[in-house]
Amino acid sequence: MTEELRTEEFEVNMGPQHPSTHGVCRFVLKMDGEQIVDLVPHVGYLHRALEKIAENRTYLQYIPFTDRIDYVSAMFCNYGFCLALEKLAKVEVPERAEYIRVIMMELNRIASHLIWLGTFALDIGAVTPFLYAFREREKIMDLFEMVCGQRMTFNYMRVGGVSRDLNPEFIPKAKEFTDYFEPKVDEYEDILTNNPIFLARTKGIGVLPKKLAIDYSVTGPNLRATGFKWDLRKNEPYSVYDRFSFEIPTGGNSDTWDRYMVRIREMREANRIAKQALEQIPEGDFRKKVPVLFKPPAGEVYTRVESTRGEMGFYIISDGTTKPYRVKLRTASFSNLAVLPEITKGCLIADLVAIFASFDVIMPDVDR
Amino acid sequence: MLELERLFKAVYLWLERISGSLGIPHFWFDLFTMILVAGIILAVMSIAAMFLVWWERKIGAHFQVRFGPMRTGWHGSLQLPADGIKLLLKEDTTPAAADKPVFLIAPVIIFVASFLAFVCLPFGKGLIVRDLNIGILYILAITTFTVVSILMAGWGSNNKYSLLGGFRSAAQIISYEVPLTLSVLGVVLLTQSLSMVKIVSAQEQVWNWNIWKQPLGFLIYLTAAVAEVNRTPFDIPEAEQELVAGYNIEYSGMKWAMFFFAEYTNLVLVCGVATTLFLGGWNGPILPSWIWFLAKTLFLIWVVMWFRWTFPRVRVDQLMAFGWKFLLPLAFLNLILTGLLA
Amino acid sequence: MNIIKITANGIYNLILGMWTTVKYLFSHAITLQYPKERWPMPERSRGVVVLTTDPETGKLKCIACAMCVKTCPTSAITMEPETDETGKKQRYPKVFQVDQGVCIFCGLCEEVCPVKEKAIKFVNQYEFSVYTKQELIYDMEKLAEIGKGSK
Repeated sequence: MTEELRTEEFEVNMGPQHPSTHGVCRFVLKMDGEQIVDLVPHVGYLHRALEKIAENRTYLQYIPFTDRIDYVSAMFCNYGFCLALEKLAKVEVPERAEYIRVIMMELNRIASHLIWLGTFALDIGAVTPFLYAFREREKIMDLFEMVCGQRMTFNYMRVGGVSRDLNPEFIPKAKEFTDYFEPKVDEYEDILTNNPIFLARTKGIGVLPKKLAIDYSVTGPNLRATGFKWDLRKNEPYSVYDRFSFEIPTGGNSDTWDRYMVRIREMREANRIAKQALEQIPEGDFRKKVPVLFKPPAGEVYTRVESTRGEMGFYIISDGTTKPYRVKLRTASFSNLAVLPEITKGCLIADLVAIFASFDVIMPDVDR
Repeated sequence: MLELERLFKAVYLWLERISGSLGIPHFWFDLFTMILVAGIILAVMSIAAMFLVWWERKIGAHFQVRFGPMRTGWHGSLQLPADGIKLLLKEDTTPAAADKPVFLIAPVIIFVASFLAFVCLPFGKGLIVRDLNIGILYILAITTFTVVSILMAGWGSNNKYSLLGGFRSAAQIISYEVPLTLSVLGVVLLTQSLSMVKIVSAQEQVWNWNIWKQPLGFLIYLTAAVAEVNRTPFDIPEAEQELVAGYNIEYSGMKWAMFFFAEYTNLVLVCGVATTLFLGGWNGPILPSWIWFLAKTLFLIWVVMWFRWTFPRVRVDQLMAFGWKFLLPLAFLNLILTGLLA
Repeated sequence: MNIIKITANGIYNLILGMWTTVKYLFSHAITLQYPKERWPMPERSRGVVVLTTDPETGKLKCIACAMCVKTCPTSAITMEPETDETGKKQRYPKVFQVDQGVCIFCGLCEEVCPVKEKAIKFVNQYEFSVYTKQELIYDMEKLAEIGKGSK
């Protein structure tokens, strides 16, 4: 007669306030010794009822609220909303406005990836890249503040274009930034990419199989790291993205290191796109005037934008009045977070922290 | 001119004359000088710890292109006294169900362990409290007391996570003691003596320094020493990102400050020993010997801080694997090579 | 042989990382010492809301059309137009209150103002912290005063 040694599972709460849950997210972990058996995320601590608010605001009034869906990459949320309305009301956008939009979006992509880089390195334990990334981010935010007056919640895009034209000193300063930024990415790579401690922490950790990613609607760099080449800027081009040459980086092993590499390369590609857009920007109108109380025809529309975290979708039902009937926001981080319990079975808490940081999930995006 | 050894000798002889003329028995005079020396060492430790905390914050800040403390005193130099006053005024909490004697004694032991090891550290020519002829063995033995203190802190807190953190920290320190000792053995083989003063005297000229003869030993010693002091990349007990926090989560106020200072004095101790063993101790031209010792130790401390602000953190199981499966065979290899070639 | 290659590669990359950080140790820090040094704010920066005054007549340019009141997404603006003896609304505000604590600094009120040189504007003054929430509700005199002061 043999008696098996039975270990008990115990529950641990990684509470809403924790230095490495990005935002307010609560994980209830069921652990067996050191390894995680199950993980249940509890979300909703940052819910602000943005979709309900939309039913009581006019379209122009709602644009500042779209900033706050994902405040780290606010230009994309602004843009998605305006694109949906332009599609619904068949508004033509002047070319200069499209180029301005692309420049702003790609600069915002770089800024958002810099935050991700800083917090990812911080969670792994290297504290210096955080400060270096924020130094670059300051320059981008100075550019934004020069044009639209705010550093984070821009309220810049409008239906039919952008709200204000670029200052005369914006284009030289932006070109200066794109030249300055290129060697900085090399610096971040020097500190992290082939560092043996970093490799030991990230290679082979948190492997996300391609089929699982597609089943859970994971999008963005997480999906591209599994090896599936899907980017809305190339597969369903919108705005003037088809005029620029850029590559879509993908990964091979779909582990944490691959997700890190895909984002580093995306920063370089975004820099490339911004450079090309700054060269090619034409003169012209920056906005096609639409009335302040904008009334699109009744109907429904769904558009999606390749935001920094993945696919950002806007579904708007309009009933012909100045206020929408329903606005539904499809956010990337919500689906990305949903796949986390599947891939963290059997790993340690240190690995959970690294995997969650590499997923680039931020809570306002999840909770809206 | 700044030869501290002559100054100390002069003061000692003057005090002896005074005590002789006052008719005090020699026994009391010896006791008095011992207490005085202990006080001097304590003062040196405290000043070193305070200076190092300020230095770490400034150096760390400049690595991160920012300034660090600037407002309190000239460039933040009064920051540490300000922090010290704050810690003294903090409420001293003890968990209700804690094991009180164990809980209270743990910070004392860790402080005493670091303090005792300074007995054998040669600060300069003739500036050593007692030149034991088993000097380096004594230091290695005393520094093992930190393990006892950490286990007591983890147990006495009556907290599941504190206990686990204490276990982890103790396991880390014990596993890295072995490569540390083996790398020191290489130097001992070359010098054929365990006495600290003899080890330094064998490194009179720059080309005689042990770092040229034992480069592998130096690297192993530095890595193991960083792990001993619980600094990044091996600072699992202090990482906030880990759920299982360190052994000192239940401590507040002055008791926590003891752990904090003990970490920095351990750092000074470990870098001081490295200077003595590998970089020639207090040898150097022109300047007085204690300035050379100070400069070399500060340089090594700066290198350890450089590690902290550059490297990510190692995971706890990888840390044990690294210590046992990589450093230990390397240390044995070093010992074999030294035995063959020396 | 593989282990030696891996070790050498590892040590090389560790030193490369250390070299990258030490370069910044010897360069000047880029942060500002805030109360003593201040960053010059760009012109379009959205700080506090103000009302502009006509330099010739000395009165506010506002025509009490209430477009800003209707457009503000958080209803931070309250306005009442002047009425003459017969109760007819005049084109001048009697009460104009902006709650700077509710304002989200979006800039829509400035955008929709129909007056040529914008009767309501954002200026780039950002240091307006106070001790009570009541002090954050700016009435007409205070708005006009800051508007005159920052021209």
